[in-house]
Amino acid sequence: MSARGAHVDVVRLLMLALVAILLLAPLLAGGFLLYSLSLCFANTLAVLSVSMLVRYGGEVSIGHSFFVALGAYAVAIIEHRFGLSIVVSLPLAVLLGAGAGFVFAFPSRRLSGIYLAVATMALALALPEILIGFEKFTGGFEGLYIAQDLLPGMPKALQRYYVALAVLVLVCLALAHFRKSAQGLALLMAQAQPRAAEAMGITRSWARISIFTLSAALAALAGALTGFASSTVSPNSFTFFSGVFLLVGSVVSLNRLSLPAALVGGAFITLVPTYLAQAGDWVPILYGVALVVVTLVANAGDLRRFLPRGMRR
Amino acid sequence: MSVAGFIRDILPLLWSGLISGCLYGVGALGLVMVFKSSRVVNFSHGNLACLGAFVVYGFSSGSLLSLSWGSAVALALGIACAVAVVSYALIAPIVFKSDLASTIATLGVGLILQGVVQLVFGADIVNLDLPVPRYSFSLGAIRISSYDLAVLAVTLAIVGGLFLIIERTRLGIAFRAVSTNPFACEVCGLNLRSVHLFSWLAGAVLGLVAALLIVPTTFLSSTTVPSFMLQAFTAAVVGGFSSLPGAAVAGILVGVAMNLFSFYVSPEFMNTFLLGVILLTLNFFPNGLLERAIGGRV
Repeated sequence: MSARGAHVDVVRLLMLALVAILLLAPLLAGGFLLYSLSLCFANTLAVLSVSMLVRYGGEVSIGHSFFVALGAYAVAIIEHRFGLSIVVSLPLAVLLGAGAGFVFAFPSRRLSGIYLAVATMALALALPEILIGFEKFTGGFEGLYIAQDLLPGMPKALQRYYVALAVLVLVCLALAHFRKSAQGLALLMAQAQPRAAEAMGITRSWARISIFTLSAALAALAGALTGFASSTVSPNSFTFFSGVFLLVGSVVSLNRLSLPAALVGGAFITLVPTYLAQAGDWVPILYGVALVVVTLVANAGDLRRFLPRGMRR
Repeated sequence: MSVAGFIRDILPLLWSGLISGCLYGVGALGLVMVFKSSRVVNFSHGNLACLGAFVVYGFSSGSLLSLSWGSAVALALGIACAVAVVSYALIAPIVFKSDLASTIATLGVGLILQGVVQLVFGADIVNLDLPVPRYSFSLGAIRISSYDLAVLAVTLAIVGGLFLIIERTRLGIAFRAVSTNPFACEVCGLNLRSVHLFSWLAGAVLGLVAALLIVPTTFLSSTTVPSFMLQAFTAAVVGGFSSLPGAAVAGILVGVAMNLFSFYVSPEFMNTFLLGVILLTLNFFPNGLLERAIGGRV
């Protein structure tokens, strides 16, 4: 076997080890850590949805909290009104997310990504007033509870943990597959070589709409799991900043779509506010610094040019 | 609803929409200045304006110092300009490489400024008035206050000054040249950085002025000014995002439209309304509502 093949095997083994550790974690971890980790998996999925948009579409969104909230509220409202569990509401949430993503991305299909970014800002700011305004459905300030189990008879904490973990691993596998699929390659080509793609019948506006639709569907899936993992949805968890924080998580994971990278991003935005709760006002500063530093380092190219002349080699 | 009643309602709505619209236009001008020269959407615009407004409050109310309003504003302008220079310096290494990466970096700067405001001034909700004598008179159905006149005067002065700079000075010519064709400017030996810096400074000043004038109508907290900037962003989009007159006129349109919406439909869904305006504009007028009327120039 070639050296490169051996390298891939090591990566694969490490990935399996990571999944095995996460599978066994409930044996050691306490209740609160387990709960934080379940939320962390759901947030990791939301980070993946933003990263996917950056990778395949070259676009920035600070409003993905909207689609996350859509998924979470879909699960809560379906349980509240029809008494159906997440088995039914999860696929519905994904479909709703895809539909909303399509409607949202359609108007700016021919424009540069900057217009989409501005529109997502409006989306993020409109979300809280929609959640509070449609009190009849959303429960207003108090929000709604999600009580139904997926698997009857299994302890609640373990259910939340394993369902979130299973979906996360499946999505990562699907994303790896998508990268090699014809559709994935078509989207990448439309971004890197728009003219070549157009010659092959893939228009740029089609590529932009479809990647945003996929990304919004993934965000809604993440939202459904966030609702399930935290057993409650309320406007408190969907402020303007939650959309910005998802982008922070994506930037910190270098917009990568692999499980370990996305977990780093998800953990950064889930565990930092939990464990630095008493340093509340420092959290935006920390996130801002992370955003600036990572963006600069990732885009500045050769960092040696910042050194004084004498120290360059 | 009778015709007379309708007119009695609509005239004050149009007037107050015009006044607040002027301020949305001033906010939007700052965004468009930055975008035209450096192709970056400055998401820290609102946070910087918020910091500036809080500095004025802190230095004039006695919570940090008790200076006169004028000197507090001068200090705030100085701080806002310094922050603008620092934030431009931060994104300077990547500004020519990637629009999106520099835009993300401005979001980071915005988060830092937001955190600083929360650290220094807390989550307080405070009042910050303009130092103008209270006075008002009626003109038909419209009630005109000294605040309205102050807003109009400041807006006219600042927009007029800006257009004079851009139309008549060498700096303005350089700015127009850079926003038309940066590559040709570089070939001709123009320093792009100094033009960028000019637009970032102008943006900071415009944002602070808009914030100081809008705060008396509501209140000042760490979230009001950044969300007020959504109106400025909407005005910029409606104006085409790269047209200065477009931004100014679109600001007034957005101000009037918001007033009508909040009076006749619902005051609780303002941001949703703006979202709708942005999406409809992008779909039907991708180059701005006023593209035909004034063209894409300046």
